[in-house]
Amino acid sequence: MPKVENPLLLSLYSYYVEKILSETDNIEEANQRLRNLGSEIGQQIYLNTEIVEKTKDNVTTREDVAKLIEVIYKVLFDKKPKDIDMKTARGSVRITDDNCVWCQEVNLEGMRGFGYCEVFSGILQTILEFKGVDAKVFQEMSHATGADACVWNVRLV
Amino acid sequence: MSKDLERALSKLRFDDQVLGYSLMTKVGRPFVSFAFPDELFPRVKDSINLYKSDLRLMTIDTDRGLVVLSPVDDNWILTVLYVPELQLGLAIAKTKNVLRLLEGIELPPPPEEFEESVESNLQVLESIAIKAASVEATKPLDTATVSEPVVETPPPVADTSQSQVEELPPPESFNVLPATVPERGPTYSNALSLDSALYSEMKKLYRNFGFDVLMLVDGTISVEKIADSMFQPNNRVIELLKWGASKGIVEVPLVSAGDEVKTKAQSSMGHYIKCPRFEGDMGKIASEDMNIIRICDGSRTTEQIAEELKLPLPKVVQTIAKYRKYGLKLIGKTI
Repeated sequence: MPKVENPLLLSLYSYYVEKILSETDNIEEANQRLRNLGSEIGQQIYLNTEIVEKTKDNVTTREDVAKLIEVIYKVLFDKKPKDIDMKTARGSVRITDDNCVWCQEVNLEGMRGFGYCEVFSGILQTILEFKGVDAKVFQEMSHATGADACVWNVRLV
Repeated sequence: MSKDLERALSKLRFDDQVLGYSLMTKVGRPFVSFAFPDELFPRVKDSINLYKSDLRLMTIDTDRGLVVLSPVDDNWILTVLYVPELQLGLAIAKTKNVLRLLEGIELPPPPEEFEESVESNLQVLESIAIKAASVEATKPLDTATVSEPVVETPPPVADTSQSQVEELPPPESFNVLPATVPERGPTYSNALSLDSALYSEMKKLYRNFGFDVLMLVDGTISVEKIADSMFQPNNRVIELLKWGASKGIVEVPLVSAGDEVKTKAQSSMGHYIKCPRFEGDMGKIASEDMNIIRICDGSRTTEQIAEELKLPLPKVVQTIAKYRKYGLKLIGKTI
């Protein structure tokens, strides 16, 4: 068996992905359902972890958002994302993770546009919301569908 | 016969959650009982009389516990008293399991005179069965006994039901999968009315099982869930539903290439499946696993592999798991 990190999380999450895919017939809808799942989990994470203590009360700048994302990564996965890009696109923060926890050992074929790890978009968006940051988060690319890394786009509104 | 009946009933007797039971006639007279409280009989009898021939499965919540009534055939009703704290669903499932045991047993109608609730009545019943069988052998047409189901369906009635459904395709042309959600068809209610030819035909082929499955068909629950809730294998339910579809009792999809194309066009995303594909060195595979791994080419699901090789699914899953480290991948896709 290939080595996976956090097998329990992986198994639970793949169960939910398969369940949602069996209940939807449209990729955008499935993405949204995964984001919704993430939002609900996001609330739990916000209540159960020390993300609140470890971050500034007022998250206002893009730098603050990047810092918050780093804290979330540290708390949830005990690691750093490969890149948090604040420069390329104005009004957006782009997170790149080439070692994404959610889609380890997942190989999808012919499912372009499906964000396997959209759950994390929902988690991020909700935590940002609790921190008073109005943002839209979605997954741009997923390792599961053949990309080199998973990329999320945090569009600050 | 009485041996089988005793065996079925002993399942209840040795069940800790069963307080008592009684095999009753269709008018509510207890024929054989075990620890069933006498004071409950009038209440049960009232309920039976209320529904008469329309009685299906019925539950009565009493202060002694939960009573489940269910017709065994046209003449008999099984009444079981369960402990009050038992979940309703479990009580029904337990009762149905016993009914299924009773399915194989031909019970003769009760004698006109008998002493109520006596254990030895079982023997009485047996002697009636033997007598009925011998009478039937000599003049099979004028006795309406239950012990020979062939007599139950009068030929002319069966003919009309056949002409009615002639346009419908045969059972094998329907496509029923565990995920299929069957719907009620035009002859659904006819099949459930106890005096219809369709009901007798179903009873002859599937005993009470047919009735139980049809009761669960409501256009919202899948074959898999029906089978699960009855503790029955999917295939048994599928076989029945295919037969039912050929009679117009239920509606399920037909097997046809055109149909598949249509459903594909309608939704932008098909059904999600996961197919194992081996991408490693074939030399690592033990010869006894070769037949499974060889067809792991990413075109079949694990279930399809099990079916194709006529192997139990757990065996296939075990084998696939074993070769994960040698390059076996699970490919997710939509079809």
